[in-house]
Amino acid sequence: MDLLQGTLDMLVLRTLLGGPLHGYGVAKAIRASSNEELDIEFGSLYPALKRLELKGWIGSDWAVSDHNRKAKFYRLTAAGRKQLRRERSEWDTFVSTVARIMGPRPEDA
Amino acid sequence: MWRRLKFLWPFFYRARERDMQEELEALAVIGDRRELGSLAIAAENARNEWRPEWLSSLAWDIRYAARGLVRDRTFALVSILSIGLGVGANSAIYSLVDQALFRLLPVHEPERLVLLNWRGRTVGPGWGTGNLLSFPLYKDLGAEDSVFEGLFARYPTAVQCSLRGAAEEVPAELVSGTYFRVLGVKAAFGRLLDDSDDRRPGEHPVAVVSYNFWKTRLGAASDVIGMKILINSFPMTIVGVAPETFRGLDWGYIPALWIPTMMKKQATPEFDWLDNRRGRWVHVFGRLKPGLSIATAQAGLQPRFKAMLDADTKRAGWPQVAPGVLRDYLASTLELLPAGHGRSELRGTLQTPLLILLAATGLVLLLACMNVANLCLARAYSRRRETALRMSLGASRRRLTQAMLAQSLVLAVAGAITGLLLVPLVTRTLIALLPENVSLSSGVNPGVLMFSIAAAVSTSLLFGLVPAFHAGRTKPNAVLKEESGGVAPGVGLRKALVTSQIALALVLLIGAGLFVRTFAALKAQGPGFNATNLFRFQIDPAKSGHNGLRAKRVTEQVLDLVRQLPGVKTAGLSFQELLNGYAWGQPITIDDGRRRVTDGAILCNGISPGFLETLGIPILAGRGFNARDAHDDASLGFRVAIVNESFAKRYFGDKSPIGARLALGDGPNVKADLEIVGVMGNFHYRGLRTLEEQAAFPALAGQTTGGTIFVRSVIRSESAFASVREAARRVDPNMPVTELRTVDDQLDRSLMNERILATLASAFAALAVLLATLGVYGVISFVTTRRTREIGIRLALGSSRASAVRLILQNAIVMVGIGVAIAMPVVWALGRLVENQLFGVRAMDGVTITGAVLLVAAASLGASVVPARRAVVRNLTETLRLE
Repeated sequence: MDLLQGTLDMLVLRTLLGGPLHGYGVAKAIRASSNEELDIEFGSLYPALKRLELKGWIGSDWAVSDHNRKAKFYRLTAAGRKQLRRERSEWDTFVSTVARIMGPRPEDA
Repeated sequence: MWRRLKFLWPFFYRARERDMQEELEALAVIGDRRELGSLAIAAENARNEWRPEWLSSLAWDIRYAARGLVRDRTFALVSILSIGLGVGANSAIYSLVDQALFRLLPVHEPERLVLLNWRGRTVGPGWGTGNLLSFPLYKDLGAEDSVFEGLFARYPTAVQCSLRGAAEEVPAELVSGTYFRVLGVKAAFGRLLDDSDDRRPGEHPVAVVSYNFWKTRLGAASDVIGMKILINSFPMTIVGVAPETFRGLDWGYIPALWIPTMMKKQATPEFDWLDNRRGRWVHVFGRLKPGLSIATAQAGLQPRFKAMLDADTKRAGWPQVAPGVLRDYLASTLELLPAGHGRSELRGTLQTPLLILLAATGLVLLLACMNVANLCLARAYSRRRETALRMSLGASRRRLTQAMLAQSLVLAVAGAITGLLLVPLVTRTLIALLPENVSLSSGVNPGVLMFSIAAAVSTSLLFGLVPAFHAGRTKPNAVLKEESGGVAPGVGLRKALVTSQIALALVLLIGAGLFVRTFAALKAQGPGFNATNLFRFQIDPAKSGHNGLRAKRVTEQVLDLVRQLPGVKTAGLSFQELLNGYAWGQPITIDDGRRRVTDGAILCNGISPGFLETLGIPILAGRGFNARDAHDDASLGFRVAIVNESFAKRYFGDKSPIGARLALGDGPNVKADLEIVGVMGNFHYRGLRTLEEQAAFPALAGQTTGGTIFVRSVIRSESAFASVREAARRVDPNMPVTELRTVDDQLDRSLMNERILATLASAFAALAVLLATLGVYGVISFVTTRRTREIGIRLALGSSRASAVRLILQNAIVMVGIGVAIAMPVVWALGRLVENQLFGVRAMDGVTITGAVLLVAAASLGASVVPARRAVVRNLTETLRLE
């Protein structure tokens, strides 16, 4: 399944709401919570992390992972939390608007 | 956007890059290789987030441009210096204009301040300069509250102030108790003057000192509050220190002390007009209520003002005046002038010269701009193959334009920095030409910084876009296939640029020439008397506690002692300072059987016996003043007068004025009882530009006292200064001698404006000619190089070297000719704007114009001869082989 344009940032922010993760962890978490439906290429996820970091929505620190290995962990900042709320409400509006236009499924009838 | 700019900084970028590599390596260990995919692509995509394509290409262009400029040092140096000089000159003058003309007072909401100005006819005398009102009128107005939030009155003067020991003269402002409150100025320490200092005359012996005075004269003493000082020998108590930022209301006059108007008699013993309804001496400022426009406020004020005028004519003491005068008096209005900038005599006189200089530096900047455009065109031409190659390899026009603009940007930044470094230099030169009481800083403030950057960047855009536009039009194939020779593109444009430069330089040079000639003409004309070995100083015995006849005695004693000094020939006293722009002027009634009033004000003065002799002014008829005219009886007042030649000619024609009678003033009831006893030669009183009708009265008649003493020495003036001070000290050790200086020095001061214009305009014109010459040199070198083969062939075919040089010089001659043709109408148009600054020379002055044209032509041809000769002298065969 392909991702809708512009939703990747929101998904990353939402994923980090659960706690700090390293880049690979973010990819795995998104895949897991989408029941393996979404497979985001690391080649596009990684620049998204850098973009969000540049905007100050996420921060990063070097830390030791569960398997006792060093990795860079990303965490949500206060600005990121605010941005997530904003994107979430925009997303809700978007979904409900599209749903209203689409209506119940006449094509199934 | 701003966060991304950090990534242009190589150290920052490299650190982030290293960090990213480490992160990706760590992930490669943790993660599934397949799932991660190509880490190189991930890294590249991340880099693009940091530095989008356009940003990194711009960074690349800037670095490339900088490297190119380092390689082409001459081009870079000449360009940067051109911009730097242009921007520097402009910013410096702008900095002064900003400080002198545009800066608002550092008080609360200065834009709501207004100055009250009487428009129409006044009755009674005035003391001071401009916008004068009487103190009772100010008090009447103070009761009005529909228009003003508050009003204050002030009188700028100087007092003798002594802390311990000898007194010195310091500027002091007499102010009403409302002054600081209405201005919204808060004390640095202690308290400022307030309404409690406004009650009874003579009963508020308190003073506020300026921050600077507190620091420099009181040694920043912590116990300053309550300190006693003597003001004109009268003890007063310091109650507060004004804030550091507040330096009074006048640019060019910074008070050291503020004293309540109620202490007028003590502060200004020469006159006490606190209750005089017709004596005008205070400046009245008001603060408008919020939201009130000046026009509305002014309209609201008139009915009340009219009622005040009516009431005044019915008061006891209203003088009998002619019906016409009364009508005009009652028709007077009270005008409100914006006063957010304060009030300044100096600003008025300096405004025009400063704006002229700002315009001149604007032209210099334009010239510099053309120079750099020209250099950029030349450089673009020399790089045309590279450009063509890039185009044919698919570089977009936008991309090439960006590269050109990057070069301009580098030049602009370097030029702006150079310019800013020059600002203090130029500003200091100008400050040195101004009187010392003008507070100007040579520093660079944020406003000036913004101005310089805006000037440099707009300049760079102007000159950068020309070659960029040009490059966009080149056809790469033609350039790449092009053998050398043929018509070079852009030569026409470059010639046009240089021609305009010649025209601009010519305009500036002619302007400078006019100002130099004006200065020279005024200097040559002189004051109408010999200023060699002539000096002057002021004493004011009344301010040192000498009252009535005692003050007169002190003045006479000083005069006598000075006359006896070795090396002194003669000495005399004048009420008024000469050649400082001010005068005692008033209408005079003449009665020689036929009673008439002079047209307008006559310049009056009080002079002692010996004054005319000291200056060397001849008595043309009758006699000068003698000891009997300088009587002691105050009730007699003036009994005699001397008029000058112009006065005699104007009002008596061929008849002798001796024996005719005069009266000061023009009312129908003034008694003409001053007998004209002599006619003196003409000399300059107010300044060198004007020669007016004058009348003089005996300075030492009655109790009159003090003033300026003029001394003619047989030795160099300066060597007599010490003994003059000593003589005054012998009469009263506490009485200061002030403004001791030579008359030559005074003359120089009176020529301040002319000197500023002549000096700076010449400097800017020289700069302009230099820039234009560089432009000519550049274009001629270029043209010559292009035509080397043609010249070689001509020489081979037997034409002389001289004729080949002439061929090249023709280019320069045509450019100079067109430049002159463009410049002349501009000079004519601008000349009308500066005409009132000129003296003894017309704006279209033949000598100046011819001189300037010859100079510019010589410079241009000189600049052309060098490359022309180089081309011709070069070995013939080598020339031919070259192509």
